[in-house]
Amino acid sequence: MAAYSSRVRADIDRWAAAGLIDASTADALRRDVETSARRSLSFGSVLAMMAALLLGAAILIFIAANWEAIPRLARVGAVFLVILAGYVGGAVAKTKGHPAVGEALWIVAAAAFGGGIALVGQMYHLAGSESSAVLTWCAGTALAAAALRSGPLTVAAAGIADGWLAMNLTGGFRLFGRTEFPGMFVAIVAALFVLSYWTRSTAARHLILLSLIAYVALFALDHDVLPVAVGLAGVSAVLFAVAVLAPEPVEAVVRLGGRLPLHALIGFLAGMTMIQFAVADESGIGGFAVASAVALAGIVAAVVLAGRQSRGLRWIAYIGFAFELVIVYLVTMQTMLGTAGFFLAAAVIVGLLAFAIVRIERRWAAPAMQGA
Amino acid sequence: MTGRKLVASAFVLALLQIGFLGWIIAGRAAVLRSGAEVLLKVEPVDPRDLLRGDYVFLSYDISRIPAKLIANIPAGRTSSEEGPIVVRLRKDADGYWRPASAWLGAAPAPAGEGEVDIAGRIAAGWDLTGDATLSASYGIERFYLPEGEGLAIERDMRVRPFGVRVAVARDGTAQIKALMDGDMMLFEEPVY
Repeated sequence: MAAYSSRVRADIDRWAAAGLIDASTADALRRDVETSARRSLSFGSVLAMMAALLLGAAILIFIAANWEAIPRLARVGAVFLVILAGYVGGAVAKTKGHPAVGEALWIVAAAAFGGGIALVGQMYHLAGSESSAVLTWCAGTALAAAALRSGPLTVAAAGIADGWLAMNLTGGFRLFGRTEFPGMFVAIVAALFVLSYWTRSTAARHLILLSLIAYVALFALDHDVLPVAVGLAGVSAVLFAVAVLAPEPVEAVVRLGGRLPLHALIGFLAGMTMIQFAVADESGIGGFAVASAVALAGIVAAVVLAGRQSRGLRWIAYIGFAFELVIVYLVTMQTMLGTAGFFLAAAVIVGLLAFAIVRIERRWAAPAMQGA
Repeated sequence: MTGRKLVASAFVLALLQIGFLGWIIAGRAAVLRSGAEVLLKVEPVDPRDLLRGDYVFLSYDISRIPAKLIANIPAGRTSSEEGPIVVRLRKDADGYWRPASAWLGAAPAPAGEGEVDIAGRIAAGWDLTGDATLSASYGIERFYLPEGEGLAIERDMRVRPFGVRVAVARDGTAQIKALMDGDMMLFEEPVY
């Protein structure tokens, strides 16, 4: 790849010298070659990050093994050393022009901080505070992300928060008599969302939005399904509409690379799915048919409104559509004739919509072609 | 961010995190060094819950407090609220320390000669009337062991009396000091 980019650069110089392209075109081409060459390096940074995660996991599991051959004061010293060397060494690597190595070393240091918390808990047999231990780890990682302005550390902090939520809900912490829902999660990811602007981490914002959708879905299952699911679907639909109708101002606020509609569609589908199951249990087939029709209409509307600009959104819509068909089949399985009737009606409606969309898109495209 | 500033903030960050861990270690070591020492009897618990990964789950005879011992139950209260409890321990003839009295919240007066106050927490919903007992936890319900040694201890614990020597700080914070198999010491914790 590097060989190709240097060859192209030589070609650009030759073309510019021969007068085939002007100076501004040559500059634009050089910039383009440079950015694509940098992107090709990301394979190396992905490997560096994976190595960092493996090393971090090795540290954590080594501490859990509680190996007596090494005195624990030496283990504490080693953990402190990894924290210091990881953060400072990563900063040095970053200033020397190796950002991937720097970020990877910071991840190792953050893992070592988590290992240090686990080690202290093990040394002094601290019981019943795993939840706060994980939260402390999350806070320390977020602090590191803020101090070093690191995107990967922001993602790591959000990942730890997700882990905390999962452990809480699966009862991994085994706290006595703890039954309340971990509502603190919302406050944590809200703080991390704000932090992600400072660390310029679009990936963290994506992860947080997906985590929030999962959180609301779990909250609905834990509490009253129907109102929460209706709220999720409704808020998602409003967000989708706002993001599609006013893309520039919305993007200026959320800075998600124009992908807010994807999250809104996922949230809408999650909400509608829960509504469908809830009404299928409660109010017979009538309510379910309405909910299914709303879900399918929502998918079609999403494709019509924003599908043209976003390939990712189209794919989520296709998957959601297939998923909807499976749900409808599963719920109405007792009457196959009814299912066949619903699918027939859906086929007619979607076919008519497809006909309409094709005509609309052709009409949109025609003046543009004439203008060009 | 310029290079030198980034390295400086990384250094400060590392010191903060190391300092935080060191502060916890220092606090726990202080309890071990200067806390009052009590011996608590360990009770066998449901074997399925006993061992989880690399620690044994410990239940003490002071983990269950008779409601009658609690001196300051508000009038009319029939079930507990989640919160702190202070249990005053006194040494019995067999060497083990057992609860003499208890208070919800804080003790009205400091512990006297031959007594130690240990701080615990109780969950909400325990019955506070009549002969009911309620479950308290003191943050000492786990003992971490080297990998692979848990099962043998779990087995022995069900056939012989085990004890745990605990250091208790003046504010009631408890810290495990040693795991005893009868009179024989199995593990003693160094201060660090």
